[in-house]
Amino acid sequence: MQRLEKSFYSKTSMYAFFVTLVLFFTVWIGTGKFQHIDMALLGYLLSSFIFAIGLTVRMCSWLLRPATYQVVKRSLKNLKDKKRVKRNIISILKTAFENIFLQKFIFKRGIYRGVQHFLIAWGCIGSFAITFGLTFGWMRFDLVDSDTYQIVVMDLPTITMKAHGIFAEMIYNGLNITAVMVLVGVCMALARRIVDKDVKVTQRFEFDLFPLYLLLAVTVSGLLLTVSYTFLDGWMHHYITLIHQITVVVMLVYFPFGKLFHLPIRPLATAVPMNYQEEWKVDTRPCKKCGATYSSDEQIEDVKGILQAQNFDLQLADGSFLADYCPACRRRMRVMKQLNMEAPKGNPYGPIQTLNGIQISGFGKKRSDEFYNIPKEEEKVH
Amino acid sequence: MRKIMYLEFERCIGCRSCQAACRECGGHEAKERNYVEYVDFMESRQTYPMLCMQCKDPACARVCPANAIQITEEGVVLSAMEEKCIGCRNCTFGCPFGIPKFDFEANKMYKCDMCYDRSKYDIAPMCASVCPSDAIRFIDFDEMQALRRRRAQMNLVEGKKPQEGNKWEYVPEFFGVYTD
Amino acid sequence: MTQYLVKEGVKNLIHPDEQLITTHCCYCGMQCGMHIRVHKKTGKVVGVEPRYDWPVTRGKMCPKGVTAYQTIEHKDRILRPLIKKNGKFVEASWEEALDLIEKNFKRIQAEYGKDALAVFGGVSMTNEKCYLVGKYARVALGTRFIDYNGRFCMSSAAGGFLKTLGIDRGSTLPWTELEHTDCFFMAGTNTAECHPTSIQWFWRAKDKGAKLIVADPRETPTARVADVHLDLKPGTDSALANGIMHLLIKEGYVDEEYVNERCNNYEELKAMVEKFTPEYTAKITGVAPEKIVKAAHIYGRSPRSVVMFARGAEQQSKGVDNVSLYTSMALLRGQIGKFASGVATFTGQGNGQGGREHGQKSDLLPGYRKITDPEAVKYISSIWGIKPEDMPGPGVSAYEMFDEIHKGTIRAMHVICSNPAVSAPNLEYIWEGLRKLDFLVVNDFFLSETAEFADVVLPATTWAEDEGTTTNLEGRVIRIRKVREPLGEAKPDWMILSKIAERMGKGKHFQYNSAREIFDELRLASKGGKADYYGITYERIDKEDGVFWPCPSEDHPGTPTMFKEKFGTPDGKANLAVVDWEPAGEEPTEEYPHYLTTGRVVFHYLSGNQTRRVDFLKEQCPVPYAEMHPELASQYRLSNGDLVKLTTKRSSMVLEVRLTKAIRKDTVFVPYHWGKELAVNQLTSACLDPVSRMPEFKVCAVKLEKVSAKEVKAQ
Repeated sequence: MQRLEKSFYSKTSMYAFFVTLVLFFTVWIGTGKFQHIDMALLGYLLSSFIFAIGLTVRMCSWLLRPATYQVVKRSLKNLKDKKRVKRNIISILKTAFENIFLQKFIFKRGIYRGVQHFLIAWGCIGSFAITFGLTFGWMRFDLVDSDTYQIVVMDLPTITMKAHGIFAEMIYNGLNITAVMVLVGVCMALARRIVDKDVKVTQRFEFDLFPLYLLLAVTVSGLLLTVSYTFLDGWMHHYITLIHQITVVVMLVYFPFGKLFHLPIRPLATAVPMNYQEEWKVDTRPCKKCGATYSSDEQIEDVKGILQAQNFDLQLADGSFLADYCPACRRRMRVMKQLNMEAPKGNPYGPIQTLNGIQISGFGKKRSDEFYNIPKEEEKVH
Repeated sequence: MRKIMYLEFERCIGCRSCQAACRECGGHEAKERNYVEYVDFMESRQTYPMLCMQCKDPACARVCPANAIQITEEGVVLSAMEEKCIGCRNCTFGCPFGIPKFDFEANKMYKCDMCYDRSKYDIAPMCASVCPSDAIRFIDFDEMQALRRRRAQMNLVEGKKPQEGNKWEYVPEFFGVYTD
Repeated sequence: MTQYLVKEGVKNLIHPDEQLITTHCCYCGMQCGMHIRVHKKTGKVVGVEPRYDWPVTRGKMCPKGVTAYQTIEHKDRILRPLIKKNGKFVEASWEEALDLIEKNFKRIQAEYGKDALAVFGGVSMTNEKCYLVGKYARVALGTRFIDYNGRFCMSSAAGGFLKTLGIDRGSTLPWTELEHTDCFFMAGTNTAECHPTSIQWFWRAKDKGAKLIVADPRETPTARVADVHLDLKPGTDSALANGIMHLLIKEGYVDEEYVNERCNNYEELKAMVEKFTPEYTAKITGVAPEKIVKAAHIYGRSPRSVVMFARGAEQQSKGVDNVSLYTSMALLRGQIGKFASGVATFTGQGNGQGGREHGQKSDLLPGYRKITDPEAVKYISSIWGIKPEDMPGPGVSAYEMFDEIHKGTIRAMHVICSNPAVSAPNLEYIWEGLRKLDFLVVNDFFLSETAEFADVVLPATTWAEDEGTTTNLEGRVIRIRKVREPLGEAKPDWMILSKIAERMGKGKHFQYNSAREIFDELRLASKGGKADYYGITYERIDKEDGVFWPCPSEDHPGTPTMFKEKFGTPDGKANLAVVDWEPAGEEPTEEYPHYLTTGRVVFHYLSGNQTRRVDFLKEQCPVPYAEMHPELASQYRLSNGDLVKLTTKRSSMVLEVRLTKAIRKDTVFVPYHWGKELAVNQLTSACLDPVSRMPEFKVCAVKLEKVSAKEVKAQ
C-alpha cells in the first residue's frame, strides 16, 4: 500500500486517480462498452468527472485535519468493535433517519427553515441521483416495443413499463419534480435571507447567497427547458439547453468548494451517538474538580488527542489538562487565575478570598492604614 | 484604532444585565451567550462576567471535526456554522475557558460573537453597553493599555509585583478581549 | 418630527425598518435613558437600544431596564375593562364599567358621605398622572382620603429632609458630580442591586481613590468592596449616626464655621452625642468599635463626602430620625451645598421624587404645599376652579387607610398604579380590608394581586403608550415619550380619571386632550411652591438633558445643587437632629429570637407585578428565599436548599434556605417581590414612624423552624 502511495504525488492524488478510474469503469459497463453513450450529455459527463475529482480532493483535505481524522479514526475503530454492534447500528440508523432523512433538528430551529431545507436537500439529492445516473450511463431507457419502455441499470435490463403510464410519467418528470422542490426551497431561503435581519449579521454573499442563486439558475433554466418543449414547441430550446448546461457545469465544479459541501460531511454526525454520547443529553464523565458530569471519557480523550496533535495541549502545572474540568470550573479557574487567587492564600482550608491585594484602588484591596492617613494612637489621645 | 473588550472581574456586581442584553442582540435568538457566576456564594457575593476571549488561534476551531468555526476579518470567532456543525460539542470541551454553549434541540453550538452586528460598525456590543459597573468595557486599545499600566503601577505602589506571566500561562494569543 | 434624540458623534445601531424613540426606563428612580426600537410599518415594539449620551446613566441598564420593553406588548396585558361577576372577571365595555363605577361611587357617597371613598395612588407614573390623582380625589370625588404607595418607600426620607433641610429633594447634588467625591457613607442601601446603574459613578470615584463606608446588616455587592463595612444590627442606624457624630466632634472633624453660620441646635447635638462613645455605640449596633472609629476617621478626613441612604435606614419606625441624623452627619462636615458633596437618598420608585411633590400625599397639595396652609388651599383652589371651602382636609397615611376600612369609615377605594396587596406590611390585615370593601376599582395593565380583589379593573396603559414627565432621583425633571398607540382598549390613567370625573359631574375641571395640557396646569399649580416646576417645559427638557427643580421661571437655569446659600427652613438654617437612639418597634425576644429584614433583588421591581412576568427576570429569580448565615442555620440543622418556616407575631411562611457568610449571624433576609403565600410582607411589622407614617419593613422579630417538604404538603 505504501509503495503504491509513493508512486503518486500525494495521497489525495492517488484517491482522485482511483475515483476517476472506478467511475470510468462504471461508465464503461453502464453504457455497454460505450455503445449507448449519450453524446448530448457529454458536457455533463465531463463536469461530473471534475465534480468527482473535486469532491475527492476536498474530502481528503478535510479528513487530514487532526480533528476530523481523530473522530473518523475512532468511528472506524468503534465500527469494528464487536461489542458495540448494537450501539453502532442504532446510532447509524437513528442518525440516518432523524438527522439526515427527516432533518428534525432543522425543523426545531423553525418549521419554515425545516421545510425550506428539506425541499432543497431532497430536491438536490434527487436531481443529482437522476443526473449522475443518466450522465454516467448507469441508467437508461430502452424501447422494447412501441408502447413499452425498459429501464436498463448498469447495462442490465430491469423492469418494463408502459410508455404513457403514470409510473413512466413520474420517471420522465423526476427531474422536473425535484427541480420544483429545489425552486420552492431556494425561493423560501432567499426570502428569509432578505427579510430576516438576524440572518444578515454573519451572512456573506459568496458563501451564503451565491449557491442559492446558482441553484436558482440551474432549476429555472432546467424547468424552462421543459416548458419550452412541452408548451412552446421547443422555442429557444437550443439556447436554453446551452444556458442550462453552463449553469450545471458551474454548479458541479463549485459544489465541492462552497457551502454545498456540507452535504457529504453530514454523515459524520453519526459519530456523536456512536462515539460520544450514547444517550441523548446524558453526560457520563465527572469533572476533576467539582464532580459534575460534563462529557464522556472517549470524547475528552479525543479532544486531548486533537489538541496534542497540534502542540496545543492546554496542560496545567499539576499535569492535568483543562479538558479534565467541566466548562463551569474552567471559567472559574480562568477568573481565579486572573485574580491571582487560584488557591486560597495562606491557609488552604480557609475561606475563599476574593480580595487579593493587587487590585486597583480599592477594588477588594485591603489598603494599608497609611492610605487613610488615620492618626496614630498617641495623636488621638490629645 | 479598533476597539477591544476589556473585563475587570472585581467590578462585577452580579446584576446579569449583560446576559439580559445578550438576548437582545441580532442573531442571538433570545439566548444569552455569556456567563455571570458566583465565585462562591457561601463566602462572598463576588461574581464575575465571562465571555468569549476571541482567541486569535481558537482551540474550539481546532477541535471541530466539521471545520465549522470561522473567524471574521475583524478577528471575531463566530458560532459554528449551522450547516456544518454536527453537534459533537468538541468545541465546548476544547475551549480553555468553557465558553461555547450547545443547543441540544436545534443541534448547534452557539457562542459569543461580540454582537457582530454592532461591533463590526464599532458600536459597543450589548453586554458592554449596558454593564452598569463597567466590568465589561468596549474601549480603544490604547485606553486598555493605559488602564493596565495604571493597574500595574498601583500594584507596585502596594509593594506587589503583578504576576503577569503567571496569569497568561495557558492563555493563547488574544484578539479583542482583555481581562484584568 | 423625530422622537429620537442623539448627540453628535454618538452611534446607535438603527435597522432600516425600525426607528428609535428616546425615553427612560419605567422602573426605579435612576430613570435610565434608553431608546425603544419600534418597527416602522407595524408600529410594534421590538427591542431596546442603549442611550449612550444620557448624562446620568450613559447607556447603562440593569436587567430590568433591558427587558422593560417586553412588558409593553406582553400577553398578560389587560386589554378591556373587567367586571367581577359571581367571583369571576368578565370583559366589559368602557361604558358598562364606568356606569357601574358611577352608580356605586354615587350610592356610597350618598349613604356614607364623601369621605367613604378613598384613593390609593402610586408613583410609578408620570408627574402629570400623579398630579391628577390628587386633583381627582379632592375635586372629582371630594374625599380627604387620598394617599399613595410612597408611604412604603420614600416618606421617611421626605420627613427627615423637611425636618433638617426644609426642602425634600432626594439628592442635593447632581449625580454626575459623584465621580469627584472622596468618600461615600452609604447606609441601608443595597445600591448594586437596587440602583445598579448608579454603581458606575461609585466605581469611577473609587478608581480615583474614593473611599466607601457601607452600613448594612448584609455584605451586599457594594459592601463587599467597601473600605469599612459597618455590619450593624437592623434598626440601629440612629445609634450608629450618633456614634459617628460623637467621633466627628471629638476628633475635631466638624466644620465649625459652616455649622455656626448655617445650622441650629449644634450645642444640643453635642450634648446628645456625648454618650455615644465607640464602645456604647458598638454595644447597641453590634459593630466592632475599631470599625466605627476607622469609619469616622475616613469620613472625617475626606474633603468631599456624600452621605447616602435608602430604604434600609428609612423603612423603620425611626425612619425620619435616621434620615435626619445621617443628614446631620453631612451638615457637621459642612458638606451640603458644595461641589461633589452633600446628602442623597436613593429614590426607589420611578417617579418617587416627582410623585410626592404634587399632591398625592394625604397632607400635601401640588408644589409641596401643605394642605393645612390656608394660603396654599386658596391658591390651588383658584387653579382648580373650586371654592377653597370645598377643598377636603388632610387624610391619613396609606397603611392607616386600611384601619379606616376596618373601622368602616372607608367603604370604597380606587387603587391607581399600586399593589398594596403585596407591598403593604402585615398583609393578612390588608387582604381582609380589601375584602371588606363594598367596592374596589383598580387601574392596572396587568392583573395584580390587588386587582384580583377588585370589582372593576380598568385597563391602563404602560409607560410607553403615553407621554409625560418624571423626576428622577436627582430631582431632574425628564421626559417620557409615547412609543406606540395604546394596546387594545387601554387608556392612560389621566384619561380614565377624567372620564370618571365627568361621570361624577366634575367634568369641567378635567378638560384635557393631552398630557402636556396637564403638565402646563401642574406648572402653574406648583408655581411659588417649594417644588417649583413653573419654568420647566418639554422643550427645555429635551434641550438641556432634563431640568432640575426648583425652576421658578423659563429663564431660570434650574437648580442642580441645592442649598448653596441657604436652606429651605423658615430661618434659612439647617436643623441638626438631636435624637436619642430608641429600639425598633419589635425587638427579638426569647420566643422570636432573630431579626427578619426584607429587601429587593436586582431582578425584580416593587411588588413584581411587571417583572415577575418577564421571562429573563423570572428565570433568574423565580421565588423568594431565606438568606442566612451558616452559623445561624446550623443551630436549626438547616443546610442549603432546606425548607424553613419563618414565624412572626403576625403570620408564618415556608421558604427555601440560602446560606451565605455575607450576612449577620442574627439576621434573616427575605426579598419581598412576591404575592399571596410567597409574600414576606405577611410577616412584616406595621409599626409606623410617628412622623412619616412609614411602616417598619426592615426590622421585626422572627422564629425559625426546620420543616420537611412532606410536612408542607400535608398542610
